[in-house]
Amino acid sequence: MKQQPSVLRLRCPAQSRFVASLRHALASFLRAHDFSGQQLDDVTTAAGEALANIVEHAYAAASAEVERFISLRANVDAKGTLALEVYDGGKFVQRRPVPGRGFGLRIIRAIAGRMTIDTSDGTRLRMIFERKR
Amino acid sequence: MSESNLVKTVRLSGELEIGRKDEIRRALAASTDGAPVLLDLSDVTYADSIALTELLRFCAEAERESRPVALVIQTPQFARLIQYAGLATVFKVFEHPTDALAYLTERLRQ
Repeated sequence: MKQQPSVLRLRCPAQSRFVASLRHALASFLRAHDFSGQQLDDVTTAAGEALANIVEHAYAAASAEVERFISLRANVDAKGTLALEVYDGGKFVQRRPVPGRGFGLRIIRAIAGRMTIDTSDGTRLRMIFERKR
Repeated sequence: MSESNLVKTVRLSGELEIGRKDEIRRALAASTDGAPVLLDLSDVTYADSIALTELLRFCAEAERESRPVALVIQTPQFARLIQYAGLATVFKVFEHPTDALAYLTERLRQ
């Protein structure tokens, strides 16, 4: 039977205590779609870094009226291609490098061969992964 | 946490991630008494860059005080995270506690 596209959508307050739960939910979703081993670890690591980055930085300059959320959307198509988006409603700030900090994006770039960052409305990090067999 | 006369061992387990940032910092801060430190992270199942930053801060402070630090890491995800972050040469990482202890003991003799 041909596998149908499948989507996971998660959204919750941008607080550190929710990050692990989102990552675990993503891992379960990916396991159900036959992601495994190092690739499963790497994808969830990249997602965890993106989520943690939002919690740490996205709303630092936001006013009290702004809803502070983190969202994750994972879409696995019939060919096993995963489109993973992690996004927020905050304001992207280009920070100066600080020694001993800022490893998150470096880790994401090392893991995700295909990634884009869209800062036109909040910040939306999009990564593409081909499932390995 | 356990101590020997020569080396202090700090054990952290489970997921070292942003939700445990304060706990990680407190656990590491509790071992700043001048002894070499064996950070036994054998039972860590996941780590993120927030945990790496705390470890890096701790190791930098220990280096300023000339206290050797050795990390024991057995989880592939954690080991790869260090590689991806470009920190492979920054931390002294061992797979087995006995090797880490031997390294620290040798450093004490120098």
